[in-house]
Amino acid sequence: MSAQARPLLLVPGLAAAQLRHEWILSLCLVIALAAVIAPLLVLLGLKHGTIETLRERLVEDPVFRELRPAQTREYPDAWFDEVRDWPGVAFLTPTILPLSSVLQVVERDSGRGVIFDLLPTAPGDPLLLENGAGVPVDGELVLSAEAARRAGVGAGDELTVRVGRSRAGRAEVAEARLKVAAVLTPRAGSLARLYAPLAFVRDVEAYKEGYAVPARGWAGDTPEPFLSFDGAVLLLRAPLPPIVRTGLIINTGFARLEEAGAAEVEALLGFAPAQGLQAYALDAGGGVVTVSSLRALEQKLRGYDRVLLPYVRKLALTAAGGEPLQPLGLSVDAGQAAMLGLSASPWGGFSAASGEPGRLTSVLLPRTTDAPPDRLAVESAGVGVLAFELARVGESPFARPVVPIELLGVLRTATQRGVGFDAARGRFEMARGGYRGFRLYAGRIDDVPALFQRLRGLGIETIAEVEAIERIQVLDAGLTRLFWLISVLSVSGGTAVLVASLYASVERRRRDLGVLRLLGFARAHVFFFPVAQGAIIAGLGLVAGFAGYASLAFAINRSFASELAPGESFCVLPAGDIPLAIAATLALAVLAALVAAARATRIDPAEAIREQ
Amino acid sequence: MTAGAVPMVRLEGVSKRRAQGGSVFELQVPSFAVGAGQVVAVVGASGCGKSTLLDLIALVMSPSAAQCFEMSPGGGVATCDIRRLWASADEAALAALRRDYLGYVLQTGGLLPFLSVRDNVGLPGRIKGAPGGGARLDRLAARLGVAACLERMPDSLSIGQRQRVAILRALAHGPRLVLADEPTAAVDKARARAIMDDMHALARDEGVAVVVVTHDVDLVAESADLTYTFDVEQVNAQETRSVCRGLGRAGRA
Repeated sequence: MSAQARPLLLVPGLAAAQLRHEWILSLCLVIALAAVIAPLLVLLGLKHGTIETLRERLVEDPVFRELRPAQTREYPDAWFDEVRDWPGVAFLTPTILPLSSVLQVVERDSGRGVIFDLLPTAPGDPLLLENGAGVPVDGELVLSAEAARRAGVGAGDELTVRVGRSRAGRAEVAEARLKVAAVLTPRAGSLARLYAPLAFVRDVEAYKEGYAVPARGWAGDTPEPFLSFDGAVLLLRAPLPPIVRTGLIINTGFARLEEAGAAEVEALLGFAPAQGLQAYALDAGGGVVTVSSLRALEQKLRGYDRVLLPYVRKLALTAAGGEPLQPLGLSVDAGQAAMLGLSASPWGGFSAASGEPGRLTSVLLPRTTDAPPDRLAVESAGVGVLAFELARVGESPFARPVVPIELLGVLRTATQRGVGFDAARGRFEMARGGYRGFRLYAGRIDDVPALFQRLRGLGIETIAEVEAIERIQVLDAGLTRLFWLISVLSVSGGTAVLVASLYASVERRRRDLGVLRLLGFARAHVFFFPVAQGAIIAGLGLVAGFAGYASLAFAINRSFASELAPGESFCVLPAGDIPLAIAATLALAVLAALVAAARATRIDPAEAIREQ
Repeated sequence: MTAGAVPMVRLEGVSKRRAQGGSVFELQVPSFAVGAGQVVAVVGASGCGKSTLLDLIALVMSPSAAQCFEMSPGGGVATCDIRRLWASADEAALAALRRDYLGYVLQTGGLLPFLSVRDNVGLPGRIKGAPGGGARLDRLAARLGVAACLERMPDSLSIGQRQRVAILRALAHGPRLVLADEPTAAVDKARARAIMDDMHALARDEGVAVVVVTHDVDLVAESADLTYTFDVEQVNAQETRSVCRGLGRAGRA
């Protein structure tokens, strides 16, 4: 007896021959299948294409991979070393205090000097590298498109930048000529910004804080803290003419000038000056009154017999014992003292420079029953706790201790900036600014949410495009669900058509199947007859379906070409899903054929061959 | 029938009961045998059970009861106990016997409409796993007068041509026994005789046994070695019984 496998091998050929013989019916079936397959492929392609395009755009634009700190705070160097090694972190550079991170550039159109933000960069900076620029080396700058437009320079030009500072009441400026290495595409941001290596940014910060930067020829020393005040009281022998009064709040840094009564003056200064003086209260409208403001005011009042007394409203000072200390600040020379009806301050009149060591830490203590101490340890709460000792140099004429007003100016500054006290030299010093922020880019957009959460876990709130990324993820999930719903609908329709057609084919071909049995096919062999036909129909349907998809996808991508960047497509099938779609279709076709196959095996050849 | 030779097909005490729509038909075959190379005619009016007998021999219908049902293809192949194969429902073995040793000519040819005549004729050989040589096939086709039809589709053939092609297909793969079910029912008498004569002549030349079922005694009277007929008896209102009976060498004398 010959091997049984042989008849089985004939089944596909015979099944194909029958399909070819009934080619119109077969063609209709193939078209019906293609009509199910092609729209599903297009739908899948559209879903994948649009989602990928959206994702690509996010991925492509580094802005969507950036995590920006929401608050300014200090970060130690070690923090950067640690975070740089986190998975998903592609780029990290420290930034400094935003106020110190600025450069003055001359605007081309107006000829005025304008302040542009200066941001540190480093090798690997995706914002620069992915927006048409290289990373600048020392002596170079990369400009944002807006900065380049306003400064009127392009790549390869030289740009003179200025760093301004106010030291001991004098405005100082350092200059640098830098090469414009590149100009970023507008996509990188609409603000006027300059990008330079971190070392340069740190030098700018140092200079602004008063330090010298010898490498760049910028003069300076270890800087003293600048003085800041809440306002000033102007005392004159006679009222000012209105025009002069108005002039005092123009270009002086002061914003408001009002006549002040005796009670108000006492509240602001802590003591009552001699009677009969005209008093005006000046302030910067909530802003900071600086030494240059005071200087500008003095300039305008030249010729008037006057005393200008800056004041600091509120400080948190405690004596060593922990009880609050509320000294009043007063620095008057003999002339001023005479006009106010006081004695001159032992430390002399107001001076923007700190003067000899120990001058600022002098104090006049009120007369008490006990012998007043010679030295008084004091702590001031600011950015950090500032601890120093006051030396008693005399007796306070008031109920409260008196200190130089410059001390209060320093302490007020210390509430906003790091200030240290050098006990050996008896002087206050501006602390060098540490790193106050960072520029962080994730490697992929999908890393952003995790990094966002991880930073939040460290108590660092960041601003990131987490929402945009999650929106796409939600859209993806929604479209996937929609796709599956539509798939289930149309696939069940297609399967039903296949089941019905294959079954009908078996019924129609009972006699032929009976003859095949008579010729030596076993039941098991005719079982595969409809199965083979299902697979062949499915295969042809897939070919037609993919052809339909390809032409439709081409048309779709063409009609949206104007919206798309080169290489982007709205309709594209994920490569991994193509074999899956083929396998699923064939599997479904075989399943659909099983009903017909079961019917085929039940055909009785003795009956079938006698049917006419 | 050559004395002492083992018959190719032997049925002893075989019966088939078929119930259809309230009426029962029972075919009884007390003794039936086909020797190697014999031409056996089965004649009778319609409804006498001759097709049922043929289906039993063709192994597509199971007997209701059988004392003995054997097939001996000869050529050193062991005798197969058909009764046992049916009892064990060994469908694959029955199909294998069909494809290896039997050829079948249907009333209306039974050609597969989706294959060309050549493919139809070649199919049994391919199923058997021994594709027939083209030369032999062409020779047989020439003898049957259908050599010109080989490349055509069955639809385009006349009924007579189809029957000749069906005979060619039944013989092409070298079977031991050809079963023909009213092979000439659809053609006129003259043509029928010519077809029948050709089939018998070819079978004798190829040494193939033939069982031909027909209602026309005259058609086979001269060529048949053995003739069987049926005695139909109405047992009661519902039941009809038909008993197969041998006639010996019919009409040769």
